[in-house]
Amino acid sequence: MAFGTYKEVVSARATDKAIQKVAQDGGIVSALLCYALEENIIEGAIVAGDTEDAWKPEPTIAMTPEEIIAAAGTKYTFSPNAIRLKEAVRQYGLEKIGTVGTPCQIMGLRKMQSYPFATRFVADKLALIIGIFCMENFPRDSLKTFVEGKMNSSLENVNKMDIGKGKFWITDPEKESGLALKETHGYEQAGCNICLDYVAELADVSTGSVGSPDGWSTVFTRTDNGADIFTAAVEAGVIETKPMDDVKPGLELLEKLANGKKDKGRKEIERRVNMGLPSPF
Amino acid sequence: MSDKIVISPTSRQEGHAELVMEIDDEGIVTKGRYFSITPVRGLEKMVTGKAPETAPVLCQRICGVCPVPHTMASVEAMDDSLDIEIPKAAALLRELTIASSNLNSHAIHHFLVAPDFVPEDLFKTAVDSVGTIRKNAQYVVDMVAGEGIHPSDIRIGGMARNLSELARKKLYTRLKALVPVVDNHVELMTNLILEKDIPEGLGAITAPVFASDVIYGKREFFDLDRFTEIVPELWYDDPEIGKRACTTVPLYDGLNVETGPRARLDKFQGYKEKGVVAQHLARAREMKTYLSRAIAILDELDTAANTLADFDPRGTNKLGIGVVEAPRGTDIHMAQVKDGKTAFYSALVPTTWNIPTMGPATEGFHHEWGPHVIRAYDPCLSCATHVMVVDDEDGSVVKNEMVRI
Repeated sequence: MAFGTYKEVVSARATDKAIQKVAQDGGIVSALLCYALEENIIEGAIVAGDTEDAWKPEPTIAMTPEEIIAAAGTKYTFSPNAIRLKEAVRQYGLEKIGTVGTPCQIMGLRKMQSYPFATRFVADKLALIIGIFCMENFPRDSLKTFVEGKMNSSLENVNKMDIGKGKFWITDPEKESGLALKETHGYEQAGCNICLDYVAELADVSTGSVGSPDGWSTVFTRTDNGADIFTAAVEAGVIETKPMDDVKPGLELLEKLANGKKDKGRKEIERRVNMGLPSPF
Repeated sequence: MSDKIVISPTSRQEGHAELVMEIDDEGIVTKGRYFSITPVRGLEKMVTGKAPETAPVLCQRICGVCPVPHTMASVEAMDDSLDIEIPKAAALLRELTIASSNLNSHAIHHFLVAPDFVPEDLFKTAVDSVGTIRKNAQYVVDMVAGEGIHPSDIRIGGMARNLSELARKKLYTRLKALVPVVDNHVELMTNLILEKDIPEGLGAITAPVFASDVIYGKREFFDLDRFTEIVPELWYDDPEIGKRACTTVPLYDGLNVETGPRARLDKFQGYKEKGVVAQHLARAREMKTYLSRAIAILDELDTAANTLADFDPRGTNKLGIGVVEAPRGTDIHMAQVKDGKTAFYSALVPTTWNIPTMGPATEGFHHEWGPHVIRAYDPCLSCATHVMVVDDEDGSVVKNEMVRI
C-alpha cells in the first residue's frame, strides 16, 4: 500500500483566484481551512506563518481567512505547529481546530490523540488535520547553506521554493534556478531518512503537487470527517476537482515516489539497526 | 464513667486524620481532639536551593485538591520577595482563576456532604448540578491558567498569557449560563441544610476568625509578628496524640483560629452565625460570590493588555509573603530568594489553622455529631502536614515518630 488508507483520490484546486495567486500548487490547504473556518467546522487554525526572518516559519494561530491565506505556500523548513495547540485550546479558547503538517507531524498529532498524556482535553479539539506530501525537510540553516553556497542567492531574495522534476527550485527577482536533488542530500533532517510516509497517511485529508498538473494538487480523503469536509467544499464550489485518471502525470508517479521513500527508509532503518542504533519503526 | 470514641481515619475528606472524643455517660463529647496522621511531604525542603520558578511548580503538587491556590500563594510569595508589581490584567486573571477554582472546590464539597443532607429522590439533581458547576468552573481554570489541575501559566511576575477575545467572550457566555444553575444549586443545598435536624449550636466555637479577603487574598493581612507555631506535644494534652499528630499547631495572637468560608463572611460581610450549619451555608453562599466576581472580571478584562512583568530573579533575601484565600481558608506561603535561589520556604495552609480548632468544636454534643462538625470545615490534610523535627547540630531526625502514620 503506497498511499495508506484512503477513500478517494482526485486532482483538485481552489477556485478562489486570491488563493491561486499565493498557493504553492492547487491551494487545497488554504481553501479547505478557509472553508472550514467560514462554515464554523473549525474556529481557528494553526498554520505556518511568516516571520521577519526570510523562510523562517513560525506556528501561527489564524482566526480569520486572511490570516490563513497569509500563511499560504510551502516552507521547506519546519514549523512545529503542535507546539501551539495547547495555547490555541486554552488561552484562545478554540474548541474546534484545524491544522496542517508534514507526515511526521501528523503522526505526532495522532499519537497525542491516542495517548493524551499532558494533552487531555487538548488533542481531541483537532477537527481537521491536513497532511502535506513530504519527501524530506531541511533545517533552515541547511536551506541557507545551499541556497547561498550552491545556488548563488540568499534566503532574503527568494520568493518561492519548490521541489519538482528532480530539482530543488528557487525563484528570486532575477531568475528561477534549480539544484539537482542529489546536491541537497545530506542537508535534510536526519529523521527524514527513516521516514516511511510520503503522503501523510494519518491525516484527515492529504495533499501535494505530485501526480497533478501545475497549479493543481493531488488530494486523498482518508477519514469520514476529512471526506465530509472536502466533499462539502467541492459542493460549495470552493474547490474544483478532476478524476486522477484524466490528469498527467497521474497516480503512477506518486506511487513510484511513495514506494521509493518507503524502500529507501526501510534500507536506512536496517542499516541503522545493524549498527546497533535505535529505530522508531 | 467516661469513654473514648476514636474515628480513624475520618471519612469524606481529603487525607487521613483521626478524631478522638472523650464522652460522658450520655455520649456527650467532653473533650475532642482532631489531628492529622497523613505522612509528611517535605515540599518546603525540596524547593530550597532551587530557582524561584521551581517553587510554584512543585508546590502545586502538594495536593490534587488545591493545586491552584497553592500555585497562586507560591507566586505571590515570590513576587513579594522579588519586589515585583504584577500588571493589572494579570491580577484580574489570577483572581478569576481563584474564583473559578474555589467555586469548583466548593461544589466538590457538596458532593462529599451530599449523603448527610440530600434525600435519595434529590440526589441525582444535586450531583448533576455539582457536575455542571465543576465542568464549567474547571473550564475557566483550563483557559486562564493553562491547565485545570497543575496550572502551567500562573507565573512569577503575573500570568504567562492573556486570553484571546474569543476565549473571553466564550467564558463570559458560559458563566452567564451557569448563573441559574448555581442559584438553583445553592438554594437546594441551603434548604436541605436548614431542613436537616442538626442541633442548634453544634460546632459553634469562640476561636477568632482568620481571613484576609472576600475572594482573592491580601498579603498585608498577615503579620508575622503575631504568628507562632508550636509542636503538637505542647498543644494536645494527651502525650500519645501529641506524638502521633503530624502537623505543627499555628497560632495567631497566641490563639488557635477558625479559617474558611464562614470566617470570611464573618469578617467581611457581617455574617455572625456560628457552627456547622453556618459553615455549610457560608460555603454555599460563597459559590454565588465567586461566580458573580468571575463574570465581572471577564467583563472588565482587557485582553490586549500585558500580563507578565519584567523582573530581576536574583532576589535580595527579602521575606516574601503570599496570601491567597483558598476554598478552606487562608493559604499563606513565605519565601526568601537570594542569589537567584530559594533560600527559605514555608507554607501555612488553611487546614493546619483549623486542625486545633476542629476537635474542641465537637464538644458539648453527642459524639455521633462529631464527624458532621469535622466535615463542616471541609478539612484537607495533604497540604497541612509538614512536621519533621531535625537536630540542628547533626541534621538527624529526632522525632521520627511524628512522621509515621
